[in-house]
Amino acid sequence: MSMKISVRQICFIMLVYTAVSKFILYPTVLGYENGRDILFPALIDFAVQAVIVWALSFLCSRTDKTFFQLVEGTLGNITARIIYGLFAMFFLVCTLVPLFEQKVYVHVIFSDTLPSLLVFIPFFFFAVYAAAKGFENIGRCADICFPLFIIAMLFIIAMSVTEVKWNNFLPVLKTPATKIFGSSLATMYRFFEPCWLLMFMGHFKYKKGDSLKITVSYVIGAFVVLFVLALFYGIYGDISSSRQFAIARISLFFPAIDTVGRIDLVALYVLEVVMLFAIVINMQLAVHCICKCTGYENRAVISIAVNAVLFLILLFFDNKFSAIFTVWSKWMWIVFAVFANIIPLLAWTMRRRGRQ
Amino acid sequence: MKESIKRFTPIFYWLVIIALLCLFFTNDFGLVDIHKTSLIVAIGIDPAGDEVQVTAQVAIPQPSQSGDNVQYVEVQGSGLTVADALNEINVKTGTYPKLLFCKLILIGEECQNEELFRILGCFYRRNYSELTALVAMCKGKAQEMLALPATIAPENSTAIQKVLSEELKKSANVSTANLKSIAEANYSVSKACYMPFVEANVQGTSESGGNGDNVGGEGGGSQGGSGGSQSGENGGSQSGSGGSQNGEGGGSQGGSSSQSGGKEGQQMEFTARKTAVFTGGKFAGILDEQQSFALNILKNEINLAVIPCDADGIHYTVGLKSAKGGTKLKVNDGVPELTVSFKAKAQIQGAKIVLDPQSVMGDDSVKPSILEAANEEVIARVESLIKHCSETDCDVLGVRELLHKYNYKYYEAFKDDILTRMRVSYKVDVQSLN
Repeated sequence: MSMKISVRQICFIMLVYTAVSKFILYPTVLGYENGRDILFPALIDFAVQAVIVWALSFLCSRTDKTFFQLVEGTLGNITARIIYGLFAMFFLVCTLVPLFEQKVYVHVIFSDTLPSLLVFIPFFFFAVYAAAKGFENIGRCADICFPLFIIAMLFIIAMSVTEVKWNNFLPVLKTPATKIFGSSLATMYRFFEPCWLLMFMGHFKYKKGDSLKITVSYVIGAFVVLFVLALFYGIYGDISSSRQFAIARISLFFPAIDTVGRIDLVALYVLEVVMLFAIVINMQLAVHCICKCTGYENRAVISIAVNAVLFLILLFFDNKFSAIFTVWSKWMWIVFAVFANIIPLLAWTMRRRGRQ
Repeated sequence: MKESIKRFTPIFYWLVIIALLCLFFTNDFGLVDIHKTSLIVAIGIDPAGDEVQVTAQVAIPQPSQSGDNVQYVEVQGSGLTVADALNEINVKTGTYPKLLFCKLILIGEECQNEELFRILGCFYRRNYSELTALVAMCKGKAQEMLALPATIAPENSTAIQKVLSEELKKSANVSTANLKSIAEANYSVSKACYMPFVEANVQGTSESGGNGDNVGGEGGGSQGGSGGSQSGENGGSQSGSGGSQNGEGGGSQGGSSSQSGGKEGQQMEFTARKTAVFTGGKFAGILDEQQSFALNILKNEINLAVIPCDADGIHYTVGLKSAKGGTKLKVNDGVPELTVSFKAKAQIQGAKIVLDPQSVMGDDSVKPSILEAANEEVIARVESLIKHCSETDCDVLGVRELLHKYNYKYYEAFKDDILTRMRVSYKVDVQSLN
């Protein structure tokens, strides 16, 4: 089997895309629900996901099979196709909230004088092309995104960290535990990284210690998110729930901005490129799953179909993001618990031959 | 042929994507001709019965080969909310209703009778403005203050911003506040916030008798402001009744009048050494210069503050360098105890005696009696501030926050009366620079 993606690229994906997909409204939502205990629901979610990422990457040391082959070998070809069909839908579900968030973010932060849908349409030109590409392309994009992410984040963190009041987090853990766990569940739809790894299974050459590398990359990504959450709450304190788009707000109080203007926007533009790739990866995997499910190999056609569906949803629900957001917060944790947590763990129970 | 088309298709596709993304990210889809726009750089808010009256200082870029290429005018709007009034202003100026370039929000003195966050609430909603704009209360009407001709800058919003600057904040001369800091303070458990109180004084005058801590001079605000206020009112009344068409006329009239006010009226200087304090969103008084100084040395990072004091029968002006102040709260034997600490290195900056050139060498070695006097002056100012806080139940020092953060188990017991109940101890240590 050809190895389409390298462990280095998977590590970059786990670090970079995990982080950037949680920078827009996630901090505001957690700030609203948990106030100064903003870090704890995120910590719970990341801890659970890190265990699953480790379990999955460790499974890769035990088998060279892809997830499709594992399911096919255990439950038969038809079941495997059905499961991949369900995963295709799941990846579309994963794309929706980040897509809506991105649309509003671009509209408000970068170009607020135009209708947001019109501004966002060019994204789909890019998405149709990118989603038609396979795992090699996903890996190369991650290679490009990693340095961009590091530079942009260093810039933004350097501009924000001096403005943080660290005692904003005191007193610690006074929010009721039920509320913290409740927020953890309500925001679970933002955690789907193990599914990426599930799809990469069998497409990369596992070497000793790789599971640790992948897990550590994920944990670093998690720490970046936690640090941004800390910066956001440390800067805005009790009014953080009224501030949307955390990543674009934390550097505003850097003293030099008064003199030289919004230089932080340069870093935000760079980060925006990475954010778009983080959205597209779900579309790419949706196309991959549909190919596997239907056996139809023309990815370009499937990519156009996937993007058309997403565009139509965006069009029809253009002003109903809050409704989608409410449904996702209330009910989608069940779907995400099954697809992103239970199924990846169930992969261990499937029939696998030893590594060759 | 087919082969070459196939080969160049991805390249062409990428070029289109890059071009679109460039347009997308740089907002060139929404190209704006800078000469056809106008930007709100400062706004003043005054209550008018049930309504609020908002005066915006608008910068209008002018085509110019050299020199001054921005014209500033005042445009007024009114409505039940600040957003209503801003909408009226935006109808007149043709700008999108966002305040990204607004760096100053001036609240008129009459707002003392209003809920602060009923007036300012609009700025926190959604993404109407970044929270970086400076906020200050002014003596008299904000619309008058914004129309006054300034001495130290061509337009007075810049002049006012200069007296609210970070540099001045680091000398303990002003309690600079922005939208973020006042909301943070107001919505904390202390429920108290503060902002500088701006006054206008006739150019070249100074008040005497302040024991060296003199401020301002002849209050010329009302006199100088009459021209501006008249023009503002004219603009406002016309626009209020006349809708968008008349509004254009009102706006431009306001602008031209304010310019003429600059020529005819007396030029003004601005000071902001007093501080307006609020508790629970309601006005709770004005701290004088000494109380404001005490608040500033405890709340801000100070590079060099100046304090007057008398020692050995001589008046000295002592510079306090590398100053660090703060408050700590502990509960000892059921009694909350606030410890006020302040440390600084002193040097003599001035003395009311004939200069002896030989003695200048020793200015960094300050005599113990002068240090003692400086210590006492600092303590007296902090005492006066704490007295004001306890009398008005206005927790600008954040004592309740200290209780909540560091002594949480006592919070419920002491939160209501801690300002009157606490014991205060001082650790003030002003040392000689050398």
